[in-house]
Amino acid sequence: MALTIGKIANLANVSTDTLRYYERERLITPAAKSSGGYRLYERDALPRIRFIKQAQRCGFSLTDIRALLTLRAENRACCRDVRRVALEKKLQLEAKIKAMKVMSKALTNLIRECSGDARALADCPILAALDRANGLGRTAR
Amino acid sequence: MRIELFYTPGCEKCAETKDELRAAAKELIPDASWRELNALDELDYAVELGVVTLPSIAIDGNVVFSSLPNPRQFRRELRKRIGHR
Repeated sequence: MALTIGKIANLANVSTDTLRYYERERLITPAAKSSGGYRLYERDALPRIRFIKQAQRCGFSLTDIRALLTLRAENRACCRDVRRVALEKKLQLEAKIKAMKVMSKALTNLIRECSGDARALADCPILAALDRANGLGRTAR
Repeated sequence: MRIELFYTPGCEKCAETKDELRAAAKELIPDASWRELNALDELDYAVELGVVTLPSIAIDGNVVFSSLPNPRQFRRELRKRIGHR
C-alpha cells in the first residue's frame, strides 16, 4: 500500500520538509505521484529514511550518505568499501576534534590572561590577543 | 626522504598501484624510506599528519596526495622535491 508523504514522515519521525529535502538531495524518490500530484511512497522507503537519519547522527554528510546508499546498491561493492567510507569519516571527525582541542587550549590561555575585572574594552586582553592573531594592532585602528 | 602510504586493508585500488609507486620511489631516490601503514592500526598517527581520505600518501610528514597518484604524477612530485633538496 502506498503511503502519502505525511504518513511516511510520521512513521519515520521526520518532517515532510525533511523528506522533500532528501528528495532534492537525491537520497529518496517517491515511488509515484497520485492523480492529484501528491507524492506516494512504498513502505520499503521507511528503512531507507531511518538509515539516512542514523547516518546523519553518526556525522555523515548527505553527500557521504548518498555514496553509502550507492555502494549498498552496487553489486560489486562489499563491506570493506563501506568500512573505508566509515574510516575516512572517523579520520575527518578526529581531525576536527584535534582542531577544536587546539582552539580550546588557545581560549584557555586567553581566559587566563584576563583577570575579568571591570577594565574598559579597549584594554581587554582577550580582544587584544584576537586582534594580534588577525594581524591587527588595536592601536592601528 | 620518508614516504608513507596510508591504506585500508583489502583496498584493491591500493594493491594495484602501490607496487608501481614504490618502484618509482626506489628508482628516483634509492635511499628513500617507504612505509605502508594500515590506517586502522595507525589511526592516531594518520590524524596527526592530517590524513582524511584513504588511500593517502605523506612525504616527510606532510600529506601530499589525498588519493593515489598515477606513477607519472608521483615521479613528478618526487623530482620536484629532489630539486628542492
